[in-house]
Amino acid sequence: MKLITRIALRLTLALAPLMTLWAVLFYFTMIEEINDEMDDNLEAYSETIIVRMLNHRELPSLDSGSNNSYSIEPVDSLYAATHDGIVYSDVEVYIPEREEHEPARVLTTIFQDAKGQYYQLRVASPSFERDELGEAILKWLGLIYLILLVTVIVVTLLVLRRSMRPLYELLQWLDRYLPGRKHDPVPNNTNIPEFRRLNEAAEKAVERSEHLFEQQKNFIGNASHELQTPLAVIGNRIEWIVDNTNPTEEQLEQLVGINHSLSHIVKLNKTLLLLTKIDNGQFPEVSDVDVATMVREEASIYGEIYEERNIKCNISGAESLVVPMNRTLAITLIGNLIRNAYIHSPEGGSIDITINFDRLEISNDGTAALDAERVFDRFYRATKREGSTGLGLALVKAIGDYYSLGVEYHFADNRHIFTIIRPKNLN
Amino acid sequence: MRQVRNIFYFYYKIAPDLCPMKILIVEDESSLRELMQRTLQQERYVVETAADFAQAESKIAAYDYDCVLLDIMLPDGNGLKLLEQLKAMRKRENVIIISARDSLEDRIAGLEQGADDYLPKPFHLAELVARIRSVIRRSQGRGDMSLRMGNVRLDPDSSRVFIDEQEVVLLKKEFDILHYFLQRPNHLIDKAVLAEAVWGDHADQADNFHFVYAQVKNLRRKLDLANATIELKAIYGFGYKLVERE
Repeated sequence: MKLITRIALRLTLALAPLMTLWAVLFYFTMIEEINDEMDDNLEAYSETIIVRMLNHRELPSLDSGSNNSYSIEPVDSLYAATHDGIVYSDVEVYIPEREEHEPARVLTTIFQDAKGQYYQLRVASPSFERDELGEAILKWLGLIYLILLVTVIVVTLLVLRRSMRPLYELLQWLDRYLPGRKHDPVPNNTNIPEFRRLNEAAEKAVERSEHLFEQQKNFIGNASHELQTPLAVIGNRIEWIVDNTNPTEEQLEQLVGINHSLSHIVKLNKTLLLLTKIDNGQFPEVSDVDVATMVREEASIYGEIYEERNIKCNISGAESLVVPMNRTLAITLIGNLIRNAYIHSPEGGSIDITINFDRLEISNDGTAALDAERVFDRFYRATKREGSTGLGLALVKAIGDYYSLGVEYHFADNRHIFTIIRPKNLN
Repeated sequence: MRQVRNIFYFYYKIAPDLCPMKILIVEDESSLRELMQRTLQQERYVVETAADFAQAESKIAAYDYDCVLLDIMLPDGNGLKLLEQLKAMRKRENVIIISARDSLEDRIAGLEQGADDYLPKPFHLAELVARIRSVIRRSQGRGDMSLRMGNVRLDPDSSRVFIDEQEVVLLKKEFDILHYFLQRPNHLIDKAVLAEAVWGDHADQADNFHFVYAQVKNLRRKLDLANATIELKAIYGFGYKLVERE
């Protein structure tokens, strides 16, 4: 869920109970206020009546249009003693004029005339319908809630979108970022301290990861570099023993075994070193390489090497395709793909190579698709083949990346198809 | 005294191989240094060694060598400085730079400062021997660049091979193989190294070396037919060695 959607949803949820609470408070305060006002009126009215009665003046008529009504009853002293003071209450009274019950506010009080007779005075004033008031409040509150919500969300969205722009810029930048590649500096054109800090933190994190990446890269490079000489020394010593002592057949067999394993390590080490050099861009020399001729040469070399497997290799397309490239890298790229095709072709199979201006396609027979996601990964092997370094296609990919070439694999009609694609905007 | 010198000069002229060549190895890695020394001694060179810059400096100042094998990455200094000193002393030693830094700039820097060759580490000792021979032969400036062994003569310029001065026709790959072995006589050559040298950069990554066996077989047959006194001896599991027949 997007941040903005989430904020809007949370605001909606948080506003609902708040508005409810507010409605309840409003309702009770309002009733309190109205009752207070009415009570004042009733009190004044009752005082008028009591004063007139005690002065034996004419009492107000009941249908004076004021909607107020009253009744005076004589009560005994005992009742008076227990019902002292002024009591307010809400009752339903029957209004004969309207012939219906209406809610009314009633004041009850006791007074004494000059003869010592107690009277109870009840003054009633028509009141409001609480249910109706509640309903009205609810209706209006609902409306206000909706209006408030829409306003709040719209405003929030606008404000967020504006003030969150640095965040989205940073996110877009992070999406583009690839470790070990050239990248633009982290955008930091904002005055908001939080975002400035976030951007600075991102910048630092990227620097750290770049540093680690570099270290790791260098480590692999240095390790294989350091291994080179001791490995060569071992090889030379083995050769010396074979050459200068007269080993028995058994000893020789062991020596052959050691040499075999050693050459595998040397091969692996060489390839790792080459990968590191490619990643570090240590092949700056560029010359015009005729890819088409190179493909034919490599194909004929591997054709000779794998002669006994009777693999047919058909090359079609351009006779000449000159590309500015590093010669070593071009040979490595093409050689590895062609060798790969030869190695993985069944006996008597066929290899098709098509050379076009913008793509080079090499395909060979196969039985099942390889994992296209991982086929270019280092040390990925579909089959455990003796002598395989598992780095050949990783090398192809690294060279492809170095020259921004597309390197693709797919499987169709029982054929493995590797394609090198030259992007149009590149020469 | 003069006579002695004349005799020496005479021998040097007619049979330079009889006059032992002096070689200085400047290499800080003891294991490699010892291996190089032993191999070169077997080749009948007189070998001196220096483990660091200071030792190398004093030896260069005190003695003359025919060839200096120079590791430019020394613990106490840059080997390229030694090159400058040699030049300053107007010495005419052949220098082969040996370095793990096989980048192009190092190579150019070394050759520009007067080195005769550049051999990136790691290398096969047979390769080292071949480079030393080639450098010394070049500096002696003998007009005939032919490689000879037994009754076989290979002329690299015209790409022709003669056995008892009779031309033997070899195919391109066969010629390349023989050329490679003649530069490294009496050395065991690994089949993968041979494959890389003759077939190109990536042939050493091949899974099997039938293609090498096939070509070597053809070459052997042609050498036999022409009664060559040298042979390519197979060392099972490793490769081949070019030796003179007993």
